[in-house]
Amino acid sequence: MTSHPLGRPAVLLPLTAFGVTLVAFVLVPTYSDATIGSFDVYNTLQIFARLGPLALALGLTMIAGEFDLSVVGTYALGGMLTVQLGQEHVAHGVLAAVGAGAAIGLAQGCLIAGLRLPSMPVTLATYIALLGLTSALSGGLTKTYANVDVILWVDQTVLTWFSPRSLITLALFALAALVLAATRWGRELRAIGGDRRASRVAGVAVGPLLVGTFVASGVIAGLGGSLLSLSLGSANPDPGVQPLILAAAAALLGGVSLAGGRGSAVGLLGGILAVALLAEIATVTALPAYVTQLFYAGLLGIIVVVDAPDLHSALVRLRADLGPGNARVPAHPARNPHV
Amino acid sequence: MNTLTVPASGATAPSRSRRRGDLATDAVVVVAVVAVLVVGLSTDRFVSYANLKAILTSASLVGIAALGLTLIMVGGAAVSLAISQTVAASGMVFLSAQSLGLVPALVLAVVCGAVVTGLQGAVVGFAAANPVVLTIAASFAITGVATGLTGGTSVSPSGTGYDVLNATPGGVPLCVFVLLALTAVVEWVLRRTGFGRSLYLGGENRRAARAAGLPVGRTTTVAWLGAGSLFAVTAAFTAAFNTAANVNLGGTLTFDAIAAVLAGGTPISGGRGSAVRTLAGAVLIAAVSDILLLRGYSTGVQIMVKGVIVLLVVVLVHLRSKGRAS
Repeated sequence: MTSHPLGRPAVLLPLTAFGVTLVAFVLVPTYSDATIGSFDVYNTLQIFARLGPLALALGLTMIAGEFDLSVVGTYALGGMLTVQLGQEHVAHGVLAAVGAGAAIGLAQGCLIAGLRLPSMPVTLATYIALLGLTSALSGGLTKTYANVDVILWVDQTVLTWFSPRSLITLALFALAALVLAATRWGRELRAIGGDRRASRVAGVAVGPLLVGTFVASGVIAGLGGSLLSLSLGSANPDPGVQPLILAAAAALLGGVSLAGGRGSAVGLLGGILAVALLAEIATVTALPAYVTQLFYAGLLGIIVVVDAPDLHSALVRLRADLGPGNARVPAHPARNPHV
Repeated sequence: MNTLTVPASGATAPSRSRRRGDLATDAVVVVAVVAVLVVGLSTDRFVSYANLKAILTSASLVGIAALGLTLIMVGGAAVSLAISQTVAASGMVFLSAQSLGLVPALVLAVVCGAVVTGLQGAVVGFAAANPVVLTIAASFAITGVATGLTGGTSVSPSGTGYDVLNATPGGVPLCVFVLLALTAVVEWVLRRTGFGRSLYLGGENRRAARAAGLPVGRTTTVAWLGAGSLFAVTAAFTAAFNTAANVNLGGTLTFDAIAAVLAGGTPISGGRGSAVRTLAGAVLIAAVSDILLLRGYSTGVQIMVKGVIVLLVVVLVHLRSKGRAS
C-alpha cells in the first residue's frame, strides 16, 4: 500500500503498540507510587512466556489466512499430559504434550486442507473436544506436579531478566522469525494467506503447507501448555477463554491481518510483548482489570474498523443517501448476478 | 422451501440440485437423530417424561441464544464471540431493573442486548468489518463497562417479579415453551418475509446482493438486533434462575451456542440454515449429553463428544454441499 515500510500495518502496529506500552511501563513511577525494578522486567517476560506460544501458534495460522481456535484446547491438553506423564521423567511429559500437539495439528490440517473446509468451525469443534478430553483425563480436577526440582528450574532467574521458560519462548519466536523471513516456506505462507487461488496456480503446494502450519501451531501450543503447567506445578483442565482472546489481541496488535497474508514473527513478538507489558503495568499500579479490558476493546475496535474493507464505500454511500434526490435504483430480479 | 432463498435466479438447474443438497444434509441430521434415539432407547431411564423434560430444559437456554446466532450466521457474518458477555450484561440489567416490574425489566434487558449487538451488526453490515475481531473487542468492552459499573460484584434482584420466569406450567419449565415459540417466529421471519429472503441472499453472496440493490448493511443490522434481543431472553431466564448476575453469568454460552448452530447443520459461511435446524442441533447435543450422563460418563466425556458431534456435522455438511456444487 504505502511505499515507506513504517506506513505498513505489519510494521506500524506492533511498533506503535510495543513503543507506547514500553514508554508507559518505564514512566510508571511518574504517575503512580510504584517503582520499576528488574523483577518487573522478569515478570513481564514470565507473562510473555505464558501467552507467547499461544499468540505465535494462532498468529502463524492467521498469516496463512486460517484461524486456529483449538490452540487453547491443545494448550490445556499439553499441560495435563505433562503433569500426568512427566512425574517420573519430565522429558516424557513434554514429549507427550508436543506429540499430542503435532497429532492434533496433523489431523486438523489434513481435514482443512484435504476437504477445503473453513478452519473456524473445525478448530472450534476440536477446541471443545480437547477441553472435554483434558477434563476427562483429569476427572475435571486440577492435577499437581510433584517434581519440585523441575518447577524451580523452569522459573529460576537467568541473566537478571530471564527464566529458562521465557528464553525457550523467545527461542520459538526467533525460530519462527528465521523461517518466515528467510525461507521459501515463509514467503509461501504469506502467499496462501493473501491469495490462495493465485498461489495454487503459481505452483505453491498449498495442502502440505497448510498441514505443516497446523502441525507447527499444535506443537507450539502443546509446548506452551507444557511449560505453563511445569511453572505452576499444576495443570488446570479449563483455562477459560481469556488466554485465547489475549492471544488473538496480541496477534492483531502484532500486525497480523485476519484476512491473511500479512504478518511476521517479529511483529507477533511486538504484539505479545505489548500485551505482557500492559498486564504488568496493570499489576504494578493495581489498575482495576476493567480499565485494561476497555483499553483492549478500544485498541481492537480501532484496528477492526480501520481494516474494514467497505468502510470507505459505506461512508460515500451514506453521504449520497443523505444528499437530496438520491433514490436507490430498485432491484431488478432478472439482472441478479447470482452464481 | 428453498426456492425462497434463490429469488428468481431464472435457472432451474442450480435450484433443483440445491434442493437435493439440502435434502441430503437434512437426511444426515435425521440419521444422526435416529442413531441417538436408538442408543437412547437402549439406555436405562432415557425414555421417561422426566428425562424428556430434562433434555428440553437443558437445550432451551442455549437454544434461544443459538436462534439469535442463527440469524447472524445466515447473514454470512460468521459468528459472534461476545454472546456470553452480552448475556451477562443483559442479565444484570434485567435483575437490577426488577423494581420497575417484570415487563419493563424484560424490555430494558432486550433493549440492552439489542442495542449492544445491533451496534456491532451495523459495523459488520455497513463497513464489512471482521466480525471475529469486532466481537472480541465488544466482549472486552461489555465486560469492562459492566465490571466498572458494578465494581465487579454480583447484581441482586431489586424485586421479585423475575420469579415468574422460573414457572413450570404443566410441569415443563417456561423457557421450553419460549424456545419452541421463538423457533417458530424466527423460522417464519427467515422463510416468509422479505427481510429473511434478503438475509439469505446477502449471506450467500454479499456482492451479488449489493449489486441487486438489496440493503445489505441494513439487513445485517436488523439481524444482529434480533440476535441481541434473543441473547437478552436467554439472559433473563438465566438471571432469574440464578437470582443473581455478575460478569460471568454467560459462562460457556458463546461456544455452546455456536456448537448448537453448527450441529444443526448450518454452515458458518452463511446463506443457508434455519431456526428448526438450530433447534434440532441444540436438542441433539442435549440428548447426547443426557445419554452419556445416564450411562455414567463424566462431564469431560460429555464435552468431548459434543466437540466430536460438531466436527462430524461440519465435515458432513461441507461434503454434501461440495457434492452439490460439482
